[in-house]
Amino acid sequence: MNSLLMKSLVKPVAATLSVVSLMASVCSADTTLIKDAKVHTLSSQGVLQYGDVLIEDGVIKSVAEDISVDADTVIDGKGKVVTPGIFALINQIGLVELGSQDQTADGQTEHEEQGASFSIDKVYNHNSTLVAINRSNGVTRTLVAPQIGANVFAGQGAIMSLKDQYHPLIAKDVAIFTAFGEWPAEMTGGSRASVLFELNKAFDEARAYQKNRSAIEQGDFRELSYSTNDLEALQAVLDRDIPLLVNTERESDILTMLDFAKEQNIRIGFIGAAEAWKVAEKLAEAEASVFVDPMDNIPDSFESLGKRYENAAILSKAGVNVMFLGQGFLASHNAYTVRLSAGNAVAYGMDYDKALAAMISTPAEYFGGSDAYGQIAEGYKAELVLWNGDPLEVTTLPQQVWIDGEAVNMENRSTKLRDRYKALDTDKNTGYRK
Amino acid sequence: MIKFHAKTRLTLAALISAAFLSACEQPQKEESKKEEPNTAFESTYQAHSYHPVLIQNATILTAAGDRIDQGSILFKDGKIVAIGQSVEAPADKNLEVIDAEGKWVTPGLIDVHSHLGVYPAPGVDSSADGNEMTAPVTAEVWAEHSVWPHDPQFELALAGGVTSMQILPGSANLIGGRTVTLKNVPARSVMEMKFPDAPHGLKMACGENPKRVYGNKGRSPMTRMANIAGFREAWIKAADYKKQWEDYENGEGNGKAPKRDLQLETLAGVLDGEILIHNHCYRADEMALMMEIAEEFDFQISTFHHAVESYKIADKLAENNVCSALWSDWWGFKQEAFDMVPENVALVEKAGACAIVHSDSPTGIQHLNKDAAKSMASGNAMGMNITPEKAIEWITINPAKSMGIAEQTGSLEAGKMADIVLWDGNPFSVYSKAEKVFIDGALMYDRHDEKYQPVSDFQLGQYDLEVDAQEEGAL
Repeated sequence: MNSLLMKSLVKPVAATLSVVSLMASVCSADTTLIKDAKVHTLSSQGVLQYGDVLIEDGVIKSVAEDISVDADTVIDGKGKVVTPGIFALINQIGLVELGSQDQTADGQTEHEEQGASFSIDKVYNHNSTLVAINRSNGVTRTLVAPQIGANVFAGQGAIMSLKDQYHPLIAKDVAIFTAFGEWPAEMTGGSRASVLFELNKAFDEARAYQKNRSAIEQGDFRELSYSTNDLEALQAVLDRDIPLLVNTERESDILTMLDFAKEQNIRIGFIGAAEAWKVAEKLAEAEASVFVDPMDNIPDSFESLGKRYENAAILSKAGVNVMFLGQGFLASHNAYTVRLSAGNAVAYGMDYDKALAAMISTPAEYFGGSDAYGQIAEGYKAELVLWNGDPLEVTTLPQQVWIDGEAVNMENRSTKLRDRYKALDTDKNTGYRK
Repeated sequence: MIKFHAKTRLTLAALISAAFLSACEQPQKEESKKEEPNTAFESTYQAHSYHPVLIQNATILTAAGDRIDQGSILFKDGKIVAIGQSVEAPADKNLEVIDAEGKWVTPGLIDVHSHLGVYPAPGVDSSADGNEMTAPVTAEVWAEHSVWPHDPQFELALAGGVTSMQILPGSANLIGGRTVTLKNVPARSVMEMKFPDAPHGLKMACGENPKRVYGNKGRSPMTRMANIAGFREAWIKAADYKKQWEDYENGEGNGKAPKRDLQLETLAGVLDGEILIHNHCYRADEMALMMEIAEEFDFQISTFHHAVESYKIADKLAENNVCSALWSDWWGFKQEAFDMVPENVALVEKAGACAIVHSDSPTGIQHLNKDAAKSMASGNAMGMNITPEKAIEWITINPAKSMGIAEQTGSLEAGKMADIVLWDGNPFSVYSKAEKVFIDGALMYDRHDEKYQPVSDFQLGQYDLEVDAQEEGAL
């Protein structure tokens, strides 16, 4: 964990905490006790086989083998498993309804002035159907990330809670997203060399902006290609406060971007990274994090011919910080299935605890919020899921989800449709069943 | 009134067609008509030769209703010889006995919906051959003529336990063309993969895709109502073509054979019951419309694919004997996929209709067992009692029925093709993997023996993933 990153996050995290305490006072001194569950604490306590978790005022009060307290609500956790809620990564939850209908999507812009500065947290829709379905399936927070539009930079990512309130921001502008490879090459002029040219130009201009802010603002400076908003946004990357996350697949592209990061003295992470396993040692050495979809082994382009299921395991064993993406075009609507992708990573060699962490605590440590989330430990937020079995297993389902100690409504459109149609044999008058 | 009129015509049409069907039973004329179009592109698939195998001590899901604990299965010369609690080892010096303690055996998995070969990897424009997006009705095209046998995705599917699959044209068109059923074996031509004697299918598509593709070109169909009109117009032509041939065969008319028409030949094949309808259709109300069309023109729809809303009309699907090919929980990528319930497969099963778990995805095809597991778990959470021996049917015998190959494969019964997967654990677990895959009794994939891990021409010399991993020393 880079201490510089933490510094940058102090402000947004503190802001969120004040929101939490406000919520807590509304809820009064509610206590919930989960008894006798297998508890993955993701802390130094490890796994408790028959653990109790006491929640008070939205926060975990204690975690132990046996807690004897008169709680308002007692949950029998026998045969069940507790983990922190899933931290879904790099998706469009709250920013899209239908993938095929642009008017329902806000995760991408063609606006020329909005590249690196394109920031989306304020347009996150907490009432989106995707929020309710993912939340009741165990996702409690997400890193929403823009997609590349007209600019070589997609924009900034934000961490949002999936709780049911307006603008549930956890941390703002935690990374800037870009891409290097076939697709950005095609957009930028036809060659990867042009993408590299653009990236270098943007960072050179960002440095010039750093040194000549007032001259630039007064128009006493050479003409710049990037908007001052974008150059301002890139300062956090130059300051190493936040990482530049690059969608890149090919081994040589990964190495070129590692060089680029070194030259620019910035922090870098890789998204997709089909062939990252071939350069695992170098990635570990450079402290570059990698975001992989453990379900994807399709050599679907000439830049991803070396794609394989063992990517996550090889990287993780080499000491690379590995985190999980959702499944392809289902990464937003079905973000919750990342736990099954994690299971596949384990099936193909990844350590179980690291796979679990890769969708919970590892991203919290990387992007922020890990002081209050990512462990089941005293003082941490009660952002939890009770599962009826191993959370990485395909036959397991969530039984209850809590965010800030509140048991979330497990109903959604999908459960209501099921209930409307499940008894067609006795009653076909479906329109009046609500 | 209009409805009544349509039904009256249907009845007449049905009577006429029934009359001609009986006329067609005269063998000589039947042959002269049928043989001509069907000799080209015939299957040249040949099972690989392999010694007899006896797997013992396995948990066997037969897909014929049974779970056999500590069971045995014997296969030889491509066929299942015996299966049961105990099977006597024949005196055969070539017999291989596999102790499958802790392991599971199922039929080879079957994917009713795949585009492997027609949308191969890598996905470059020059080999994207799945959608003939030049007219809303292209019944004349055959998916098999686009299949690239060296698509590296075939071997990935094999490692996922898939032994047979149906390759379909895409869903841009109302009627997209013929499907083909393949054995998942390395081959130099598609003929060497074609499942012997499997019927062709015909791909049709409801809803958003055809109206978007052609609407955007300023052509019909631009609306769902034009979708339906397009289907009906095609079937009217097909019925007429069929009648022309029947008249000719009955010695009526001018005595000249009608000119062959590839498009109408395929559609007439459906009306003759020789080609099975596979209909991409998400919404319940549209499935209901498609079943009306089937009734109007007197054909049977085999299967609705991607039928996200089957649970809303599961009773009607059971009544009409139509299968539903489904994902466990994909949703929201378009409006017609908005009403997903993860209990869809289970609710179709509950209604007594034919439920299938399908992939439509080169990733999903490697995990059909896990998608079925998710559907099983969702059904059981709703209070059903779906057992593994039931759920296995969704990815074996039910797709086999849908594709018209259930007599030959899809379940573990004596006399059927020895298409068999040995799993290293319960196949309905995220951690289990196919360890050995047999097709027609021959070992075609072995997770622990490189000799039995096929590599496509395309992948050859690109990356040797297995060796590289060992060099990394990481796994």
